[in-house]
Amino acid sequence: MPDLSVKLGPLTLKNPVMTASGTFGYGMEYEGFFPPEDLGAVVVKGVTTRQVHGNPTPRVAEVVSGMLNAIGLQGPGVDKFLHDDHYLPGLRKRGATVIVNIWGRSLDEYRETAEKLEAESDGIAALEINVSCPNVKEGGISFSADPQKMAGVISAVRNATKIPIITKLSPNGAIPVFAKAAEDAGSDMLSMINTIPAMAIDIETHRPKLANVTGGLSGPCVKPVGIKAVYDAAKAVKIPIIGMGGIETWRDAAEYLIAGASAVAVGTATFTNPMAPIEVVRGLEQWLERLGAKSVSEVIGTVNL
Amino acid sequence: MISDCKIISHEVISRDYRKIRFHAPEICRAAKPGQFVHVQIPSLSDRILRRPFSICDMEDDVLTIVYKIVGVGTARLADAVPGMMCSIMGPLGTFFPEPEDGKIPVLIDGGYGAAATLPIARRWKQKGILLLGARTQDDVLLTEEYKACGYDVRVATQDGSVGTKGLVTELIPGAIADTNGKCVFYSCGPNGMLMAVGKLSLEQNVECYLTLDHQMCCGVGACFACVVKVKSDSSPDGWRYSRSCCEGPVYPAKEVWYA
Ligand SMILES: Cc1cc2nc3c(=O)[nH]c(=O)nc-3n(C[C@H](O)[C@H](O)[C@H](O)COP(=O)(O)OP(=O)(O)OC[C@H]3O[C@@H](n4cnc5c(N)ncnc54)[C@H](O)[C@@H]3O)c2cc1C
Ligand SMILES: Cc1cc2nc3c(=O)[nH]c(=O)nc-3n(C[C@H](O)[C@H](O)[C@H](O)COP(=O)(O)O)c2cc1C
Ligand code: FES
Repeated sequence: MPDLSVKLGPLTLKNPVMTASGTFGYGMEYEGFFPPEDLGAVVVKGVTTRQVHGNPTPRVAEVVSGMLNAIGLQGPGVDKFLHDDHYLPGLRKRGATVIVNIWGRSLDEYRETAEKLEAESDGIAALEINVSCPNVKEGGISFSADPQKMAGVISAVRNATKIPIITKLSPNGAIPVFAKAAEDAGSDMLSMINTIPAMAIDIETHRPKLANVTGGLSGPCVKPVGIKAVYDAAKAVKIPIIGMGGIETWRDAAEYLIAGASAVAVGTATFTNPMAPIEVVRGLEQWLERLGAKSVSEVIGTVNL
Repeated sequence: MISDCKIISHEVISRDYRKIRFHAPEICRAAKPGQFVHVQIPSLSDRILRRPFSICDMEDDVLTIVYKIVGVGTARLADAVPGMMCSIMGPLGTFFPEPEDGKIPVLIDGGYGAAATLPIARRWKQKGILLLGARTQDDVLLTEEYKACGYDVRVATQDGSVGTKGLVTELIPGAIADTNGKCVFYSCGPNGMLMAVGKLSLEQNVECYLTLDHQMCCGVGACFACVVKVKSDSSPDGWRYSRSCCEGPVYPAKEVWYA
């Protein structure tokens, strides 16, 4: 049996498969399908200082081999996240490894969210900083448009907490530049890719299919973009990378590992197949066994040029 | 719950409507009136999302769905033939509560909304009245099934091709009068109709449940795609977005936000 555990900088996970933020709710929603604690980590939907309504509907549109979303980071706010049984306490009770995705409209909101999580960090394995959401007007994408601004967010979070931090990158910017800037600012890991800014229009009505006009593209169609981002980032930095974008099966996950990712996340595919994340764990295990590999690290970054 | 279910039969009801039946013992045993299933359409391989459909019948381990062909997914579903397997998640969502003794169910439906309330007519001992609204004769569905359950069926069409000419909401005062106000509304249909039914129920002080929904991805509360507005004391705006897949689709009319 190959050892599936992976070491991501300061963090050790029992296997390299996580959920992608925003596609697995706050971790308990899929409890009826498989135990969330069987995953390497559960990455919860973005949390900030306060309760957020999110965008008007329609918030999603299906496209060929993918979807657009503009949810707008609807969420309960960090206090409720920490104290209500549907959120962190529920996951803690189950013994799941939790990564909390955080965002803000300002540096202060990022800092305050990180401080509150630091104060009750029991059961939180890492924070994933979302500097790349295409769907909120302030914050999000504006912090990922400029490596300096992004570094400012990372430093603010770094100063607020000892919890390991992951910086989530957009596929839009120059990946090596942002990856390096994040590493230099003290990020322990990187994750990529967030959704790709995109748009769809109804030709009958001439209206955008999303109420927010534009949104983020995800699903199988984005995988090649994610693979290249991981490949480029792995050449630019030493910190571990969590690869995501279009992973449906273990084959897609294997491709990310070969490209240079140390772990992967399953997102949109869970909507089609709620068992997808756990099936990827099992599939990877069998793949490594067939290869005769003893651990995941033997396949990471093994692109044969 | 997720299961691979075999298609037992697939019938044409009219040009745009189909009835499809699956062998789905586990889903049927767990299902309650008002719930829905999330269906992966067979051989729709370049589309990733499941399609939600109301549970129209769940007796004898057979799950029935009645659907209208409106787009790429339902058009592909129409090609499915008996014997094919289909991945189905469900039953999902909230359900209609039974009325207290002495109160009569009044079902108020528009178009394929008639599919969502049929389990009420089949399952509950207390029979009642169906008010069915449709654009035209072709959109009038399932009336024979309701009659076979002992329901008083009243139809309104916008073009007058069958039943009364006009909107289904115009039939409501008659139903209240005929039940001496001792009734509970259960309603499923287009959003505008639901808002009108909900407001009317509040004015008339009749207990009422509305099936509100929106386009869905996950079907289990994880993605926040399917939200509808409900009243909220803790929100400064007075409303919040509620996930219709898990906090709904059935909502008490008094909890809905009427903008
Ligand atoms: C809880 C619930 C119960 C439903 N019950 C029934 C039923 O019993 N019978 C029936 O005919 N229809 C029902 N619908 C609507 C049905 O889901 C859509 O007609 C169907 O998804 C359309 O798919 P399509 O690929 O043919 O259309 P397309 O327009 O090509 O679909 C594109 C995307 O939009 C979504 N979509 C399109 N129209 C709707 C809609 N009206 N509601 C929600 N999502 C939509 C699709 O799921 C898909 O993701 C129900 C919807 C919900 C949310
Ligand atoms: C409905 C939806 C909501 C999302 N919400 C978030 C979010 O809150 N924070 C975040 O960092 N990424 C969010 N994402 C992006 C995903 O985490 C992931 O980066 C992206 O979808 C690519 O992976 P996939 O193709 O496997 O879905 C969301 C994606 C989807 C589809
Ligand atoms: S469809 Fe995902 S939250 Fe309702």
